[in-house]
Amino acid sequence: MPAALSNGTRSRRFSTRLAAVAIAPLVLTLAACGAASDDGGGSEGGGESGKLVVWDWKSGDPTAKAYVDAAKADFEKKHPDVEVEFVAQPFDNYYTLLGTAIESGSGPDVVLFNGGAQLRDRVDALVPLDDYLGDNEERLAGWEAFQDADQTYAVPITLQGEPFYYNKKIYEEAGLDPEAPPTTYDELTDVCEAIAKIDKDCFSLGNKEGIGMEFHLSTFGPGVFTPEQYDAWLAGDRDWSSPEVKQLFEMWVQQNEDGWFNDGVNSTAMFMDEFTKFQGGESGNVVGLISDVAHWKSFDEFLGDDLGVYPGPIVNEGGQSLMPAEGGIGYGVTEWTADKELAYDLVDSLSSTDALTAFYADAGAIASDTTIDTSDSGIPVVADIVSWLPESKPNLHTVLSADTLDLLHRLSQQLIDGKVTVDDALAQLAASDK
Amino acid sequence: MGTRGLSRWVIAIPMALLAIATIYPLLFTLNVSQKTRREYVLDRFGLSNTFGLDNFVDAWQTSGLGTYALNSTIVTLGSVALLLVFGSMAGFAFSQLHFRGSKAAFLLILGALLVPFQVVMVPFFRVLGQIGLLDTYPGLVLAYTAQFLPFTVFLMTSYYSRIPGEIIEAARIDGASTFGIYLRLMLPLGRPALVSVGILNALFCWNDVLISLLTMQSADHRTLMVGVTALRGQYSDNIPLFAGGVVMAALPVLVVYLFFQKQITDGVTAGSTKG
Amino acid sequence: MNTSRLGTRTDAGDPGSARVPGGTPGATTPPSTRTGQRAAGSGRRPRWTEDRVVPYLLVLPAVLIVVLLRIVPLVMGANFSFTGDGDANGAWVGLDNYRTLWDDEVFRTAMKNVGLLLLALPVAVAIPGLLATFLFLKVPGYRLYRSVYFFPVVLSPVIIGAIFNVVLSFDGPANQLLEKVGIEPIDWLGDSTYAMFTVIGVHIWATFGMALVIFMAGFATVDQSLLDAARSDGANLRQTVWHVIIPELSQTIQFVFVTTMIGMLTGMFGLLYIMTGGGPGGATYLPELYIWTQQGQMNRPALASAASMVLFVLMLVVGFAQLRLLKRATKES
Repeated sequence: MPAALSNGTRSRRFSTRLAAVAIAPLVLTLAACGAASDDGGGSEGGGESGKLVVWDWKSGDPTAKAYVDAAKADFEKKHPDVEVEFVAQPFDNYYTLLGTAIESGSGPDVVLFNGGAQLRDRVDALVPLDDYLGDNEERLAGWEAFQDADQTYAVPITLQGEPFYYNKKIYEEAGLDPEAPPTTYDELTDVCEAIAKIDKDCFSLGNKEGIGMEFHLSTFGPGVFTPEQYDAWLAGDRDWSSPEVKQLFEMWVQQNEDGWFNDGVNSTAMFMDEFTKFQGGESGNVVGLISDVAHWKSFDEFLGDDLGVYPGPIVNEGGQSLMPAEGGIGYGVTEWTADKELAYDLVDSLSSTDALTAFYADAGAIASDTTIDTSDSGIPVVADIVSWLPESKPNLHTVLSADTLDLLHRLSQQLIDGKVTVDDALAQLAASDK
Repeated sequence: MGTRGLSRWVIAIPMALLAIATIYPLLFTLNVSQKTRREYVLDRFGLSNTFGLDNFVDAWQTSGLGTYALNSTIVTLGSVALLLVFGSMAGFAFSQLHFRGSKAAFLLILGALLVPFQVVMVPFFRVLGQIGLLDTYPGLVLAYTAQFLPFTVFLMTSYYSRIPGEIIEAARIDGASTFGIYLRLMLPLGRPALVSVGILNALFCWNDVLISLLTMQSADHRTLMVGVTALRGQYSDNIPLFAGGVVMAALPVLVVYLFFQKQITDGVTAGSTKG
Repeated sequence: MNTSRLGTRTDAGDPGSARVPGGTPGATTPPSTRTGQRAAGSGRRPRWTEDRVVPYLLVLPAVLIVVLLRIVPLVMGANFSFTGDGDANGAWVGLDNYRTLWDDEVFRTAMKNVGLLLLALPVAVAIPGLLATFLFLKVPGYRLYRSVYFFPVVLSPVIIGAIFNVVLSFDGPANQLLEKVGIEPIDWLGDSTYAMFTVIGVHIWATFGMALVIFMAGFATVDQSLLDAARSDGANLRQTVWHVIIPELSQTIQFVFVTTMIGMLTGMFGLLYIMTGGGPGGATYLPELYIWTQQGQMNRPALASAASMVLFVLMLVVGFAQLRLLKRATKES
């Protein structure tokens, strides 16, 4: 070991210089060059025409099959000689894998992204698409989540939003009117008190990943902020010491203390446990999604006609009742792909009306395509959700940086755990969000 | 010794409880794997009412675990072969041959035991990419070999150092070359250790998730454990399906363990006792 | 003899010395001369005879792999840790990343948790040691236990983590059991007071079988006559363990300490990643997980490299003394 160590130190001075010249400068560009030329490492991908590789976390689902098939068929009409391979990566590790691909400069040509921070952190590895968009700009909605500094880096295929879902049967058992969900925070408080009496949880909540807090901010935020404050927040003018922000955080703590949630909030995984509990009839309410997962379609499977939905309640006098929504997931084109136009053509097929109609119907996603008819879903809550979309505003949490979100996740758990005060938490967030 | 009769039974009770605690999680998983998704949502912890292979079949077919199992087998066999060849060669040299730099080289390899994979993760994949081995079987085989070689070299060195030097001297007097001694003497003599260390390494390779996940980027190259963990993503809440995958992935391992119990435990202990 | 050696030297020095495996050069030298040469070898400059070269060829693949895939990445990572992330990608930033680490509360927690692991080390060694003693004393059912206890070792940590996630969930079987015996349920993985201990506990559960069999092998070498002597002297169990078994097993105990330490410091990533992801509130971070998160989710590979270097130095410091023990455990050196 000493030998190895001293070797390491001796060569460091030399290789430091080497690094400054060769390894370090703009890894991304280097990686892109590497892929474009010979080594690239990619036996697949790397972007030779003749084959395009798509990364996502969806195409493996049986419910996404019709969508993928439709997109493939559409693309094949345009480019019969080009093969398309879909690689469904495990979502847990998706961005880590993508990071490795970016580092090594070999990987997919087309990549699926969540809107917001994950995309904005990686725009260096993506092609600006504004020149290619054409009609799609009109037909599709939800672009803001995929833009950075006025440039568009991905094409939205779904809209994502967070409505409150509720279980009418539990409302009834608690002596509440199942057709009159709460519209104000006071009413919601009454609902929770009534549900507590029948020994159920008012809300199912899983904050193991800290995402519960993201939803809390974005769903109660519209009811707390005035419209002006809301817009200012989105525009980057965020005052973490304002009374409204403090109120939002105190609500989080108070709701937990008042027993609104199931036990073990910090150890409950959101997507596996929280929604399982709601589906299993253990709680009266849950903040869910409108696309991908934890949505009307999967809840309908278990609750059927008992499923109801309402937009976030009004908390303060100047607040609004609206469902936050924005672009959900979208496809981008990587910098290192050989033929950018060809890759965009595939993105175009992936966002075609036919493909997205299939995605909406089978996977239960509210597609970004505004021309799709959603009146025949057979699930009553869909009509409500779609009717709220025009008034929707983007989420409060997605404009935060990945760093600040990570801090928010941790602080939200510490707040539940009683390890930090609201004031202290807000001070830390203010320092992080600059 | 002072433990006879009653006291031995008193000790046996916590030990039996521990034994139950050791296998309980597996039985628990088996129970979950027997449920349908609906049954699980409605009653997560109760005993399953149904019994069937549905989740196994689903995991095997729709999630492509069959292909992944084949990939795992190829990569595991390749890695174990390399590990045993390189490990025994180095082990023989370090334990029985005297050459300049032997000590430094041995410490270098042993020191690699102390380098957690994450420490070299970022540059490791750049090196692998530069030699064009990312997303290939040889790439993953090489990655596993690098990961488990220090341990293998250590155990083989330790095992071979128990072989008396006189045997080697005798072979030399009979005119055998050093390499001949390795081939015709050390390999046969090292068989018990090679079997044990081989099985142990096979378990490590088979069970790995992290290295495989990052090395094999395309879906048809994925290994079994990665495939199984992918069944439990943020976007899939089908726990019984995941449990089915877990049971199937663990099954071959448990069978190997039951059959080769002695060799495995011998392998673990190869480096622990004095010669 | 001189001429013959000179001849061999040129042959073996040839880069493509493919004839070495044939073993002919060795055979041409009379055995007696060879022995003499070896004996005198320490005093003289070595010559490139077959048996001088072959040892290097034997260790070459192993050394090459370790250097190429461990040492080279390590040096690259060291360089990388002095450059920036994001907009500063590739730019020289000196010690900035290390300063960021120092100021990062999460990283400090990770380092504190390493300390916790070191404190847990004696427990992780004592449990299998004690169990091995009982098995050695052949408590009823010892054969069965010996097999069963090793079971978890053969399972992937990721799978173990996933299973315990469910078993230890708030309304899961573990708390149901506590409730039956009248103990308040515990949020095993969600309460920052317990979470790290829970993960350490599961790690011990998953690995104690390994240490157990090493201890068992050690027991097999204990001199039976010493035990008999202790018995005839009327020593009780505690005295026997203390005065006979522990001294006899000192080498085994050292070995278990070393392997358990390496396992704890390098092998807990899978469990942490699945069971807590570093939460709640960052309470269960370890450096490995921190590196992974910064590299992936946070997209900051340079900061991840700096954390890697800190972890590496830490491993060196902790491991250096232990490596000496490892070395002594083998006859080599």
